[in-house]
Amino acid sequence: MAKHPSTQAYDFSLKSAGARATRNAAALGAALHFDVVTCVMIAVLLVTGYLVLPPLYSVVQTSLFTTRLTGEIDQFTLQYYRNLLSELRVLGPLLNTLYFSLGASLLATLLGGSVAWIVTRTDAPLRGLGYFTAFASFGTPFILYTIGWLLLLGKAGPINSWLKAWLDQSGPVINVYSLLGMIFIESLLWSPFVFLMLAAAFRSMDPSLEEASAVCGARLWQTMRRVSLRLMLPAFFSVVLLIFIRSFESFEIPALVGLPGDIRVLTTSIYLDAQKLPPQYGNAGAFSVLLMFIVAATLYLYFRITREGDRFHTVTGKGYRPTVIHLGRWRYLAASGLFLYSVVLLVLPFLIILWASLLPFYIQPSFEALGKFTLKNYITALHFPKITDSIKNSILLGLGSASAVMVLTLFASWLLVRTKIRGRWLLDLLTTLPLLFPGIVMGLAILRFYLLVPIPVYGTLWILWIAFVTRYIPYGIRYTHSGLLQLHKELEEASYVSGASWSGSMRRIVLPLITPSFLGGWVFIFLLSAKELSMSVLLVSPQTPVVSVAIFELWENAQVGELAAFGVIWSAILVSVAIVYYLIARRYGVQQS
Amino acid sequence: MVRSKATVVASCIALVALVLSGGVGRTAGAATVEEIALMNRADRQKILVEGAKKEGKISWYTTLIVDQVVRPVKEAFEKEYPFLQVEFFRGNAERLVQKMFAEYQAKRYDVDIIDGTVSPTMVRRANLLQRFYSPVFADYPAELKDSQGYWGSTNLYFFATGYNTNMVKANEVPKTYEDLLNPRWKGQMMWSTSRGSGAPIMIGTILNTMGAEAGKAYLQKLKAQNIAKSTASNRQILDLTIAGEYPLALHIFNHHAYISKSAGAPVDWQPHEPVTATIQTIALAKNTPHPHAAMLLLDFVMSEKGQKVFQQANYLPSHPKVPAKQADLKPGGGRFKRAYYIDPDVQYDKGNEWVEYFNNVFMK
Repeated sequence: MAKHPSTQAYDFSLKSAGARATRNAAALGAALHFDVVTCVMIAVLLVTGYLVLPPLYSVVQTSLFTTRLTGEIDQFTLQYYRNLLSELRVLGPLLNTLYFSLGASLLATLLGGSVAWIVTRTDAPLRGLGYFTAFASFGTPFILYTIGWLLLLGKAGPINSWLKAWLDQSGPVINVYSLLGMIFIESLLWSPFVFLMLAAAFRSMDPSLEEASAVCGARLWQTMRRVSLRLMLPAFFSVVLLIFIRSFESFEIPALVGLPGDIRVLTTSIYLDAQKLPPQYGNAGAFSVLLMFIVAATLYLYFRITREGDRFHTVTGKGYRPTVIHLGRWRYLAASGLFLYSVVLLVLPFLIILWASLLPFYIQPSFEALGKFTLKNYITALHFPKITDSIKNSILLGLGSASAVMVLTLFASWLLVRTKIRGRWLLDLLTTLPLLFPGIVMGLAILRFYLLVPIPVYGTLWILWIAFVTRYIPYGIRYTHSGLLQLHKELEEASYVSGASWSGSMRRIVLPLITPSFLGGWVFIFLLSAKELSMSVLLVSPQTPVVSVAIFELWENAQVGELAAFGVIWSAILVSVAIVYYLIARRYGVQQS
Repeated sequence: MVRSKATVVASCIALVALVLSGGVGRTAGAATVEEIALMNRADRQKILVEGAKKEGKISWYTTLIVDQVVRPVKEAFEKEYPFLQVEFFRGNAERLVQKMFAEYQAKRYDVDIIDGTVSPTMVRRANLLQRFYSPVFADYPAELKDSQGYWGSTNLYFFATGYNTNMVKANEVPKTYEDLLNPRWKGQMMWSTSRGSGAPIMIGTILNTMGAEAGKAYLQKLKAQNIAKSTASNRQILDLTIAGEYPLALHIFNHHAYISKSAGAPVDWQPHEPVTATIQTIALAKNTPHPHAAMLLLDFVMSEKGQKVFQQANYLPSHPKVPAKQADLKPGGGRFKRAYYIDPDVQYDKGNEWVEYFNNVFMK
């Protein structure tokens, strides 16, 4: 069972200390909560199935049938799969897609992971900056963030003109419209997600393993490499898998950053094809069905690897607060790394957006341009129709979706991690699938579903809520799953032995202990749902405007300054709500950190 | 129990009968949607006003920009008819149409009016538009209204090359399509991939006005110019030109360049004759729930009074007697004479070919 010397030692100590007690407790616990487990299983399956299966059916159907003008299913066809095959045969786009997804997932993990480690495990100064940077950069509307980087790194942008002067070059030094540019921006976009998840994982770490390693004479670096990082495998896997998939199927960054530089990826032709009328989403459907098979295989393998989940327990009954690593002189280096990350991830793009928002039309940063500063764009933004309703709705939706997703996925993960029900990896698959549904297909599926079934949510906020919860289950499950894998079951068993009920143990033991993961996931989904667009544009009604759609309208039709002004206001509101929630939850949460 | 069952059966029959009769909210003796829409008699206005008073509101699915023009139109219209409330749902053509189709399949008839350069055509192909008559049709030339009364027009879009005046000297500005082939512009131009307003539309104009052979030969040469493509909108591409990223922005809306220039931006527009023009059409949904009110709104937006609202919003009114606020944005205003109006049906039927041509030639 144990392959690593360190974990072997750990398992051994556990067995010798309380093997019998654990067995008894397990038996007792099993008797006590068998019925509850069944109920939870049924409830989780019903809710998840209800949310995920209708859109899944729709995606598969879309990939296999042509549709009539009005969207009704017409004839069976394998044309979309043939198109996909011929697309895959061209090496260029396929390779670009692989480089892009792999590069983005690795770079994001490296960035987010390093910062998470510095913030949670070391005594470097400026640690609070990590959370703020993650929240604030992720709260910036996606389109605006990308535009910010294009303006910064563009041919005529400040970074290129500065480099040009410094290196004495005549042409632009950096070409942002390239594969590297795409990877850079995409990984910056995803690094807060990595940060929030890994920070949670790093905070719940059994110090005894690292201490054992240190006692055995390993140096800090060796301990990290051979103990700490290996224990984080589930969390690492989760972030890499998620970002890889998202980048693989994304078309926003490839379209905005890659296309001008003629970098084509697999989704480029799908995107351009979708402009044809009447709209056919078969190619997008076939692409996501293919991805589903790949992801199913990956999850099955992952499940086999983590089946012996004991290896990843880092929170046991014997203390789980990792010791803070004293970096000595290096702490200033760590702090400057943190500072640099904050500058790149947040300050630079935010400054350029702020700059654009204060100008009547975009001018490259210069002293002369200061004279043109105006608040006109802010006035326009504040007069946007139904702006207060939009903000209220978006915040409500964010709070509602984040809470619902985290609660649902906490139960689902508990079933995955704690029970031995066969085929439970299917539940894992079911909760991961929404990640692969093309937003527009999923939006249409939900729209049609609720127009047909007699549940009166069409045209209300509820339909958006349902759509968002479905969309973000995959993120919730990755946060709670990797969080729960770290909890040793002896903690729950101790609770049952002491006579606690299942719900009591959940509330008083499990929930407090996975607070970091739960909070991280909550904040992430809250911020993410504020950006959701592809489903919202279909599901909003005149009475239920949301901010992301307003921003999209501005992006399509307004000048960059107006878009920037609106974005600055919205980010400020969003980030404030996220920070307030985070502080309150930490302050009044059962667990003090 | 038996009684309640009977009631359920009875109401089911009633419901089916109602659906079969094709009228939701239609009562015996009242005029049908079609009769109201096509009404052409002396007391038309009076009948519409009376009917509209009972209806109270209108639901408008629009592709127009709410902040710039929909709200002013709504305000002006509600001032004219204080008993009516205009509700609007804004989206791009594809989404509006899909929303409407999905609703119609579920027999949910919310929408009264739908607009767009291509969306009414799509709805018409699905046989979900109602033909209508409006007295103001008489003021419009044939290309700006449908011969069978399926759509009218509110405003026009004209496309031009936008250029950064700091980067392009006055004597260098490309005046004709041929000038765009100058090696000076290789790698210096950008255009949008948008079906409705970007490269595909420009390709369509070139193929249709130069002829297929000459057009294709021209486009092959244009391809060699390495035009940067972006999925960003025409507006954003113009902003990138203002920012100095690319000196030339192909096929942007001329009024956007004008608005930015008025704000002091280093940008101007240059028409290439014949100038591509698209038509913003407006149409009536087949099962419009508020036919009287909807007809009043259609009359209003195409009337001179309604067209002045478009004019004041810096849109380019379709009405021949209403000039643009900045007159030279429309043909005959001094900067260009000829416009090539892309008929909505042509845009719908040929659009896929143009997208395909763009994908095959410019994306490889």
